[in-house]
Amino acid sequence: MSFARLNPRANPGVMALKGAVRTYQYTLRPFIGAHCRHWPSCSEYALEALDTHGAIKGTALTAWRILRCNPWNRGGYDPVPPART
Amino acid sequence: MDQKRLLAAIAISVGIMLVFDVWNRTHAPTPAPQTTASAPATPSAPPAPTTAATPGDTVASTATPRAEAQRVQIENPRVSGSVSARGLMLDTLILTTYRETVQPGSLPVQLLAPRGRPEGYFAQWGWTAADGRTRVPDSDTDFTVTGGPLAPGRDVTFTWENGQGLTFRAVMSLDENYMVTVRQSVQNAGTEQVSVLPWARIRRERTPHVAGYYVLHEGYVGVLNGRLTEITYANGKKEGEGRAGLASQVESPDGWAGFTDKYWLTALMPADNGTRLTHALRHVTDSGTDRWQADMAPPAAQQIAPGATGELATRLFAGAKEVALLDSYQSRLNIRDFDKAVDFGWFYFITKPFFYAIDWLFHATGNFGISILVFTFALKLAFFPLANRAYHSMAKMKALGPKMQELKERYKDDPTNLQKEMMGLYKAEKVNPASGCLPILLQIPVFFSLYKVLFVTIEMRHAPFFGWIRDLSAPDPTNLFTAFGLIPWDAPAFLHMPAWALIMGVTMFIQQKLNPQPPDPIQAKIFAWMPVIFTFMLASFPAGLIIYWAWNNLLSVAQQWWIMRGDRAKKSAAA
Repeated sequence: MSFARLNPRANPGVMALKGAVRTYQYTLRPFIGAHCRHWPSCSEYALEALDTHGAIKGTALTAWRILRCNPWNRGGYDPVPPART
Repeated sequence: MDQKRLLAAIAISVGIMLVFDVWNRTHAPTPAPQTTASAPATPSAPPAPTTAATPGDTVASTATPRAEAQRVQIENPRVSGSVSARGLMLDTLILTTYRETVQPGSLPVQLLAPRGRPEGYFAQWGWTAADGRTRVPDSDTDFTVTGGPLAPGRDVTFTWENGQGLTFRAVMSLDENYMVTVRQSVQNAGTEQVSVLPWARIRRERTPHVAGYYVLHEGYVGVLNGRLTEITYANGKKEGEGRAGLASQVESPDGWAGFTDKYWLTALMPADNGTRLTHALRHVTDSGTDRWQADMAPPAAQQIAPGATGELATRLFAGAKEVALLDSYQSRLNIRDFDKAVDFGWFYFITKPFFYAIDWLFHATGNFGISILVFTFALKLAFFPLANRAYHSMAKMKALGPKMQELKERYKDDPTNLQKEMMGLYKAEKVNPASGCLPILLQIPVFFSLYKVLFVTIEMRHAPFFGWIRDLSAPDPTNLFTAFGLIPWDAPAFLHMPAWALIMGVTMFIQQKLNPQPPDPIQAKIFAWMPVIFTFMLASFPAGLIIYWAWNNLLSVAQQWWIMRGDRAKKSAAA
C-alpha cells in the first residue's frame, strides 16, 4: 500500500489493470462504440484514477463511476478526485 | 508521443493474437486418414502413481496370436456397436442418429473404436491385484459371455475364474440412449482373504483434432466434489510432466468425468451416489503419439474375505451432448451437474435459459436459423427502451456537431478549457450525451451468452437454413475468391470469404456509421477498420453465428433509423 502511494505508476497491479483498460479501449470499445455520459470517459477516468490512487482505490473509484454512468445520472464533467498529500 | 506508440503497439499485438488464432485453426493438423491395416500399436496404460490404480497391459504385447476375440453386439435406437469379451472393452460404438456430414449417404458418427487403430477410443472395466499375488483378468483375458446381444432390458454377464477360487463378474446393461451400467463383482470361494481394486477407464489413443476456439472447451471434463473441472489436452500434458503423466486426481463422493469433444462425450461415474471414487486423468507419450486415460477407482482396494463378494457399480455415458437428455439423466439418475458437460460457460445462468428459449422456438418454427432470428429480435425488443434513450441523445449530439467543431477550433491548444466549454454546451442544450457505460456493460454478457449458446449446442449441427446454407454449424461454403464457384480454383484457407461474412461486414459498416466516433484518433482509425477486421476474422466461423451477427447489426440499424425518423417527424411538426 505504501509502495503504491509512493509511485502508483510503477506498481505491477496498477500496470496490469491499466493494460486491461487499454486493451478494452483498442478492442471492445471501437466495436461497441463509446457511450459515456461523462468527461473524462469511464475508461480514461479509470487510467487516471489508477495512476493517482493506486490499484485498490483506483478500482473502487472506477467501479463507482461506471455505476453512476447510466441514463438516470446527469453526467458531465466529473474529474478524478486529487490524491491527498 | 511515446505513449501513443505504446498504445499502437498494444493494438497491433492484440490484432496479431486474433489473426494467430484464426491461422491456428485453419492450419491445425487434420486427423490422419483411418487405416485399419496399420500395425497394432502396443499401447501401455499410463503408469499409475500407486501400484493400485491402473491395470498393467504388458501381457497384451507378448500374447501369441489367437482366435478372434468374442464380440457382444450392442443395439438400441441410438447406438450400435460391440463389446470385446477379450479384456472387457466397449470399443466399437456408432451413433446411428448422427451423420458425419450433410452429404447424402454420409456415414454415421463413430465415437468409439478398437485399440490398435490410430483413432482408438474405448472404455474398459477391470481389476488390479492390490496384494500383488491374486490373479486378476487383464486386457488379454477372454471372459465367458452369458446372454447377448446387449440391448435395453437385456443384460449381458461376463465371467472369468482365476483358478484360485475367485470369480470375476461384470453385468452390463444398456438403456434406450447412451448410458451403460456395469456391475463388477468378485466372489471369493477360496480360503484366503484377497485384496483387489476394481476400476473403469476410458482410453483415447491419440489427441483428437480440436476445433481450437477460445469459447469452447475440448478435453477432460468433469464435475467432482461439485466443482466443474476442465483440462485441455495441452494443459493436461503440462500438468502431467514430472508426475508420471498424472494430470489430475480427485476423490469425490458423486459426479462424473471423462472426455468431451465439441458435440460428443464419454464419461464415467458411480452408479450410486455416496460411492467415493478417485477420478484421474493420465497422459503418456507412446511411440510419438499422445495417449490419454480417464479412469475411476475406489480410493482403497477392496478386502474380500473368504465367502464374501466385493462389488462396484459404475456407469459409462458415451454419446451426443443433447441438453434435454443430459438434463433427464441428471434428474433421473441423480448425476450431479451433468448438463455442465455442455460448455455453457461463466454465464450459465443466462446461457442455459437462452438455450431453452431457442430450442422451444426451434420446435415451434421447425428451422433453427429462423429460431435464431426470432430470438435475437425478441432480445433486441427487450433492450429497446434503453437503446431508444441512447439513440435519441445520439441524434441530438449529431445536431450539435457544427457547434462542437467550432469549439474545437477555438480551443485547439487548450484542451482543459475545451472540455469545460463542451460540458457547458451540453448543459445549455439540455442533451444527455449518451446512454452511459452501465447499460452497455449490462448488455455485453447477454449478447455474448447468445453467441455462446449458438456455438456449443449440438442442436445447430447439420441444421439447414435458406439457400446455400445446409449446415449452420459449419462455415459458409461460398467464396468470393472463387467468384462464388465461377473460377475453378482451390483457394487457400485464408482466402475464404463467404457471402454471409460479406453481408455481415456491410451491416457492421452501416451500423458503425450511425455510432459516435471515439475521441482518440488512433481509436477512431481502429474503429474504421473494425468491419474489415471482423469480416476476415469471422469468415471461417460457423455460418449460424455470422448470420446472427449480421441480423443483430441489421436490427440495430433498423432500430436507429426508426427512432431517427420519429425525431425528424417531431421536429417538422414543431416547425
